[in-house]
Amino acid sequence: MMWFEDVQTGVKTDIGTYTFTAEKIIDFAQKYDPQSFHLSVEAGEASVFGALIASGWHTVSVWMKLMVASRQTGDDRPGDPPRSGASPGFEALRWVKPVRAGMTLRYSTQVLEKVDLKSRPHLGLVKSLNEARDEATGALMMSFIGKGFMPKRPKGE
Amino acid sequence: MNAPTHFEDFHVGQKFAFGHYPVTKEEIIAFASEFDPQPHHLDEEAGKRSILGGLAASGWHVCSMAMRMVVDDQFGKAEARGGAGVEDCRWLKPVRPGDVLRMEIEILEVTAHPRRNVGFVKTRWDVFNQKELVCSIITTPLFERRAA
Repeated sequence: MMWFEDVQTGVKTDIGTYTFTAEKIIDFAQKYDPQSFHLSVEAGEASVFGALIASGWHTVSVWMKLMVASRQTGDDRPGDPPRSGASPGFEALRWVKPVRAGMTLRYSTQVLEKVDLKSRPHLGLVKSLNEARDEATGALMMSFIGKGFMPKRPKGE
Repeated sequence: MNAPTHFEDFHVGQKFAFGHYPVTKEEIIAFASEFDPQPHHLDEEAGKRSILGGLAASGWHVCSMAMRMVVDDQFGKAEARGGAGVEDCRWLKPVRPGDVLRMEIEILEVTAHPRRNVGFVKTRWDVFNQKELVCSIITTPLFERRAA
């Protein structure tokens, strides 16, 4: 991560890919979204979707996984900003197309807006446009606007 | 009333209350390890030093637990056809080990699909722990329409 002051709007960052194997889709769905079309290849094929598809909460949780991983590269030095942060929520999440078993999605994040917070002078709010695209076709599969608190550079640095 | 199964069973202003989801430290750490391995979701001491003031579940985990309660209560029996998305989600309070979550849902809008035999049901999902509202989600699932 960077300090809030260092964040540049408009910059799009590729944060990596994730392959939605049937095993991963079913494992997530058994815990959090046990609807038939997320639970087995057979039930998925018999459904309106025509295939086993991932839970929408799975496809968006993978964005978080890749975001965290993308912040972990490089060594920490004294005075570096923290690599983690909190969020008040998100907006405009669209599950554009069903994510079928075997698909690989490529995820990205792009800073849209930086907002100063009167109530929390040591933090800023960063809004980002986050996307997942089918690696094979480039088709948009999911997007949302994320909101994250980022610390401001301590005074004197 | 009977549990809703089709688009026509949902009406603006309708409310549903259900769910009982005990949140464990093990589950918070297991979800975070896979999807959100930030220190405040993995470790009590790191959580105390963070803005969350203690070990707390990933917001994506809170949404996923809400989904599980909804499937167990409603969608599991209904002709649900996936979701269009989430207009807004607010993570209002940290969800901690020992919390017990429950749901209150209100139907905000019902809109038939212009062509397909489904309809959009815009809903607000309020997630409470034993004390207070912790998360509020506005989401629009689709349901099959009843055969004419």
